[in-house]
Amino acid sequence: VKKFSLIFLLAGFTAAAVAPAFAARAAGSKPAAAQAPVPATETDQTLHAMHDEMDRARTRLALAGVDKPFYVEYRLLDLDVRTVTASFGALVNSSTSRTRFMAVDVRVGNYHLDSSNFISEDGFQGFLGSTGEVGIDRDYNSLRQDLWLATDQAYKAAVTQMALKQSFLRSLTKPPEIDDFSQAQPLVRIDPRPDSDWSSRNWDEESREASAVLKDFPQLYGNRVNYYLIYATTYRMTSEGTTVRSTRHLAAIEAALDTQADDGMSLHNYYAVYRASPADLPDAATVSKALAGTAADLMALRSSPLLPDYTGPVLFDAPAAASTLAQVLEPSLSGARPPLAMTREFDSFIERFGGRSEWSGRVGTRVFPTSVSLFDDPTLQDFQSQPLLGGYDVDDEGVKSQRVDLVQNGILRDLLMSRRPGPDFSFSNGHGRSALLSDPHPLSSNLFLQSNDALKPGDMRKKFLDSCKGDGHEWCLEIKRMDNPALAAVSQTDFSEFVGSLGSGISNGDRAPLLVYKVYVADGHEELARGGFLEGLNMRSLRNILAVGDDPYVLTYMQNSQDGLSGTALGSFGSANGGIPGTMISPSLLLDDVEIRGFHGEPSRIPLDPAPPLK
Amino acid sequence: MMKRHLKYRILLASAALFAAAWVCPAADRPAQSPPPAVLGAMQDELSRSMQALSVADPPAYFLSYTVSDRQLSEVSGSNSALLSSTEDRARWLEVQSRVGSYQVDDSHKLGDRPPSWTSPGTNVPIDDDIPVLRREIWRETDRQYRAAAQALIKVKTSEQVQVQTAEGAAPDFSSEQAHVSIGPRVEIHVDRKPWEERVRRYTAEFSKSPAVLNSIATFTALATNQYQVNTEGTKLAFGQIHYRLELFVQSKAPDGMDIERYSNFDWLDPKDAPDEKTVFDSIHELIKETEALDKAPLANPFAGPTLLTGRAAAVFFHEVFGHRAEGFRQKDIAEGQTFTSKVGEQILPGFISIKDDPTEASFNGQMLLGYYPFDDEGVVATNVQLVDHGMLKTFLMGRSPLVDVPHSNGHGRRQLGYVPVARQGNLIVSSTQTYPFAELRQKLIDLVKKQGQPYGLLIDDISGGFTFTGRGQPQAFQVTPLVVYRVFPDGRPDQLVRGVDIVGTPLVSLTKIVATGDKPEIFNGYCGAESGSVPVSAVAPAILISEMEFAKKETSTDRPPVLPPPAHDPDAKGQAQ
Repeated sequence: VKKFSLIFLLAGFTAAAVAPAFAARAAGSKPAAAQAPVPATETDQTLHAMHDEMDRARTRLALAGVDKPFYVEYRLLDLDVRTVTASFGALVNSSTSRTRFMAVDVRVGNYHLDSSNFISEDGFQGFLGSTGEVGIDRDYNSLRQDLWLATDQAYKAAVTQMALKQSFLRSLTKPPEIDDFSQAQPLVRIDPRPDSDWSSRNWDEESREASAVLKDFPQLYGNRVNYYLIYATTYRMTSEGTTVRSTRHLAAIEAALDTQADDGMSLHNYYAVYRASPADLPDAATVSKALAGTAADLMALRSSPLLPDYTGPVLFDAPAAASTLAQVLEPSLSGARPPLAMTREFDSFIERFGGRSEWSGRVGTRVFPTSVSLFDDPTLQDFQSQPLLGGYDVDDEGVKSQRVDLVQNGILRDLLMSRRPGPDFSFSNGHGRSALLSDPHPLSSNLFLQSNDALKPGDMRKKFLDSCKGDGHEWCLEIKRMDNPALAAVSQTDFSEFVGSLGSGISNGDRAPLLVYKVYVADGHEELARGGFLEGLNMRSLRNILAVGDDPYVLTYMQNSQDGLSGTALGSFGSANGGIPGTMISPSLLLDDVEIRGFHGEPSRIPLDPAPPLK
Repeated sequence: MMKRHLKYRILLASAALFAAAWVCPAADRPAQSPPPAVLGAMQDELSRSMQALSVADPPAYFLSYTVSDRQLSEVSGSNSALLSSTEDRARWLEVQSRVGSYQVDDSHKLGDRPPSWTSPGTNVPIDDDIPVLRREIWRETDRQYRAAAQALIKVKTSEQVQVQTAEGAAPDFSSEQAHVSIGPRVEIHVDRKPWEERVRRYTAEFSKSPAVLNSIATFTALATNQYQVNTEGTKLAFGQIHYRLELFVQSKAPDGMDIERYSNFDWLDPKDAPDEKTVFDSIHELIKETEALDKAPLANPFAGPTLLTGRAAAVFFHEVFGHRAEGFRQKDIAEGQTFTSKVGEQILPGFISIKDDPTEASFNGQMLLGYYPFDDEGVVATNVQLVDHGMLKTFLMGRSPLVDVPHSNGHGRRQLGYVPVARQGNLIVSSTQTYPFAELRQKLIDLVKKQGQPYGLLIDDISGGFTFTGRGQPQAFQVTPLVVYRVFPDGRPDQLVRGVDIVGTPLVSLTKIVATGDKPEIFNGYCGAESGSVPVSAVAPAILISEMEFAKKETSTDRPPVLPPPAHDPDAKGQAQ
């Protein structure tokens, strides 16, 4: 076992082809791993080792004078990842890695009050910890040794945590009455383990071929074209009787391109495509063509005029609407209580990244126009023959996935739940999600916004121009694409700078558009403009959506799992490199009275000597 | 109030995965090879950039480009299973752009602001696509020039309010002679399969002992080709190869104290890999020591005569003397500056001399891990006589000069991603007052009797320590002796003890060396400090110290596991595999 504290490895998940369904066993208190339907020819000893160590932990793990564990959970993630990066037709990196990580959770107390949901600065300092990198042989002996130590460490940590939590609770005038952990039906389900398939195509060569077209754009400063091919098998066993082996795969191409305008403004653009498996990825010629388009847009942006300050109607094309909704909605979808924190730092952290829910405690009130509904459905495989990669059969807490109707006819009806109860709802609805064995929390999967009063594109445009005219504008703004700095940043530093530049703005509803057009009322002609932020675009702006189109777009994106960003407004800026797949299905939207602040900063200077030729 | 940047350095004998390792089969390299295309591209872009940047506002006065081309194979096992088996190749570009002048430039240290030890850089293509490489260099040059220009403005505006110290008058950067050397490219061809089997076998052997809670075996093969050009005219291409096998075990004594044992093998040529018998002997030795340490009694605080075997003494010198002889520390007012004003003074007994010689690839036929031909600032490695018959002569220098030591002596080193500072290479301690080990042991017993002590201590292995050289910290050092025996005056067998930490003040302990052994021993390891983890060697004979001070090691509150190991559980029912 190797200790790991910082999670930086690749992971990605997408629903695999549905595995033969195994009937869930009746709820019982006994773990069922040994009886689980593992094929006789199976060489994978993972569940066997988990079962035997779990058995010891359940029956014999006890320290004198303190509680015995009431809940033990083993999670193991088996990753097989191929990563290829090219730039301007040259290979930057090509690697394959196979890794396995385990995470052991032991809780003392009971479902109402247990050792979880508590953040403190102190705690148990073990010699190994309860998480770590473990052997990749899928063997029995080494995993038992590793689980044994991790369980021991997790139990000691739980005992310490419980003592700290109880003393903190005694210091509160009104301790929270919500349960720490909800009961859930145990589930037994073993997916077949797929063999990774990436020898069929020469990915090094494809990445070179695809990115070579960027040499045609001499004004492009830098670029990275990344291929991620990911196979993940997740194992889960709990002392409640859940035994799950689920497999997921994901293939992605993500490209970042950047440049500077002549006045020094930094500009970027991105390209991203996500598929369920490597074989489904577009070929090099297709990617090359798409990258040329991405670069051409960036070049157009480079020579476009600056966006002025503006207040008025804004038409969000469906891709821009989907991206905006993902940012605005996600923080409010979760119905789980926040953990108790001894310090204010945790709260302000969540606040800063726009992680505060605006819907908690507002169930039954109107949050959208009465024609608009919102639901999340992880059980769907596709929509209008497009695959939906946000789905799954079992969530990361071993709970069966289910559709949740969040908003019906404008009224908030439900929230996404993990096994952490909240003020409005108590039980999980199968939305506990996590990346890389981090703490699961409620996240969307395939999120749909629909209207029963949708307008055809022509009517939508007419309404846009009418309301523009009505406001007395010469032109109004149409947003065709929102920015995604996580994908567009050529380096991590660039992403950090972007997050820094947003500052606290993100929690006030600052959103970054990428391709914004002035649309002239007189003749409807369009002019691209650059720079600027949408301001104050939050849940309240959505209560009075002026019009909804009938042109739903499937946006596949990755929830950013870094530093607790998932579930915040910044959370939709993720990468296949460590992200959690989600889709947002939204038509175009017309919003009234949107504020846009043009570029007021100091542009940086342009390089002193011209770029050397690329050919 | 003021949060002090904790400076520590560890003589890390553990796996430094991404650390560059500079060990090279240097002896019979052809004098000059044709310059590789990469170096040509770097030179072309350097000339072009300097033309533009040297007349910019502010002008750049120095530019350097470094491309580190690394090929790494790593196979790791734990508790009888394979942990990982990977191969990777990457090229890392670093651009240094300095604006201002050698005397005062953008790197000038400002007040209490902690300096940044990390150095920016970027991955560049591993394909030899010259236009793309030049594009990346251009990009990175622009980034670093901008950063330097901004930093210089801060330096200029705060110059007036700076407290001037003696060393504050030293220039920020030294000018150095140009050096041109084009060596051949090095490559490794590793078949990982046999190593995958080996690390499984090695760690399975450890698992036979119930005392071993966790074991890791890691094989690493690393080939680094470094390309460097700068505007002073230096142009270098050189390669180094290094193979390493590391064994590591963890245990816990009944009172919860962590027990860790470690051993490693280093070699340059695949044919010199340790054979199975050698590795298994080492494994059995580690198990034996682990089991003995688990049962060993706890040491008591002690001050008295102490004998350090050669390897232990080597680490001792590295920590206590070596780090304090690093030149950049003499400039920093936050540093303790133990030796800053002591050049020309007697700091050690007259029979001891110390040099740091990175130009030696081996010592008495054994390889030295701290060998390198050029340092990470493009300066030729040189042998530096630090202490001559007890007298301090000079310091280890990178390109951050001192008032009295204006030039580098080729010790500017770093791990990739860090800014080079003066570091040790091969620290070699020699003595003119030597005795065979048996005699030295007798001298220890004589001292025990003379001082009326119940016993003396024999330190056989020593590992990672912290050396607090910062002014806010006590001027003390703490290295961790791993294998310590009590040596009794009445002829009883030596007794292994655990939980010992060395404490005390460095100057005092150095002056209390009374005799040394006649056989120098070598410690090869990775040393972690401000500029990351770098491979080093320390060579020393055994040393006898008339009085050394020991404290009790802090023990962990984490007790041994509640349940017995699964493979050694008497109450387990039919679970064995």
